[in-house]
Amino acid sequence: MNSMNSMISDIKAALSPLETSEPAFRQIAAVVKPDGIHGALAYLKNKGFTQLCILTCIDWIEDSQFELVYILFSWTDGIHIQLRARIDREKPFFTTVTDIFPGARYYEREVHEFFGVEFCGNEDLYKPLFLELWDDIPPLRKDFDPQAYSDSKFPMRENANEFLSMTGGGDDE
Amino acid sequence: MVLDEKDNRSPWEKIGDYFSANSVWMKWYCTGCGAIEMPPTMTSRFDMERLGMGPMATPRQADVLLITGYLSTKTLRRVIYSYEQMNSPRYVVGFGSCTVNGGIYYDSYATINRLDMYLPVDLYIAGCMPRPEAIMNGFAKLIDMIKKGEARGWRHYQENYEWYKKNQLDSLGEVIIKDEFHE
Ligand code: SF4
Repeated sequence: MNSMNSMISDIKAALSPLETSEPAFRQIAAVVKPDGIHGALAYLKNKGFTQLCILTCIDWIEDSQFELVYILFSWTDGIHIQLRARIDREKPFFTTVTDIFPGARYYEREVHEFFGVEFCGNEDLYKPLFLELWDDIPPLRKDFDPQAYSDSKFPMRENANEFLSMTGGGDDE
Repeated sequence: MVLDEKDNRSPWEKIGDYFSANSVWMKWYCTGCGAIEMPPTMTSRFDMERLGMGPMATPRQADVLLITGYLSTKTLRRVIYSYEQMNSPRYVVGFGSCTVNGGIYYDSYATINRLDMYLPVDLYIAGCMPRPEAIMNGFAKLIDMIKKGEARGWRHYQENYEWYKKNQLDSLGEVIIKDEFHE
């Protein structure tokens, strides 16, 4: 546990986070300002947090904010660190972190596709990754209505026998 | 399926159906949760090879296309590609409630609700997921249908190609795949 405590005090000293907590065993969560993310990631990478496990996003629609969540793992200490920062939902721009973690290129594409956050500096950002030919607002935003989209695109089965009369090919149905 | 329909196959077609029913090669498209039910069905406990069924490497060599669960629009494009590569006669089996009516993903923005709008399904196996017993039952039924000439989905697809194409385009926008791996 000592390494945890010293890690937390190191982080507090180096990154001056807005808030830290320990959500679970050997996990540290820290909230930083958006412009502190790059510095924090570079600092942590140097401290042994070489793996970016995931970059994801939360839509806080009532606060009109997106929260970016970076989770890092250190294979030497066996500790997870979660870095969070909130950006404006109306102007969802952020800078890419691919210069620190090149693998973030795909996570950023994913967050861009599902939440519409633009990561300046990521060249692949506009290539479709999961959603091909998507034609609506990004689907994981809270104001997107999946039921309405599904109803408009994918017809439901109206009655159970529909299928029989269709592929039976017979006129005696 | 329609059981009392007149059998108007030619003798050669009957012979062909007899032989294809005894050696059914399948291509399964492991989408959704259903792929996990295939290993027990294939291996010693249920052993589908005793029915004369076996896995095949490519759609061009396969007779049956198994769709083992929900289909996202992205997957459906690839499934349509695979189906159109297969040689006639070809059969489609839909596994699980997701292929029947969308299942628990009925309101998903990403998955289709009715597989038979896009591909001619010969047989549905209900369940979420169907157990290997149900799958074996379904396969026995499929073989029986092929023997009797009742699995005519591929013909329905030929005859109603416009209808299927229209549904595919309505839901998918475009069937042609243009991703970074096909550039
Ligand atoms: S029917 Fe059930 S088990 Fe099958 S793909 Fe759908 S949710 Fe999964």
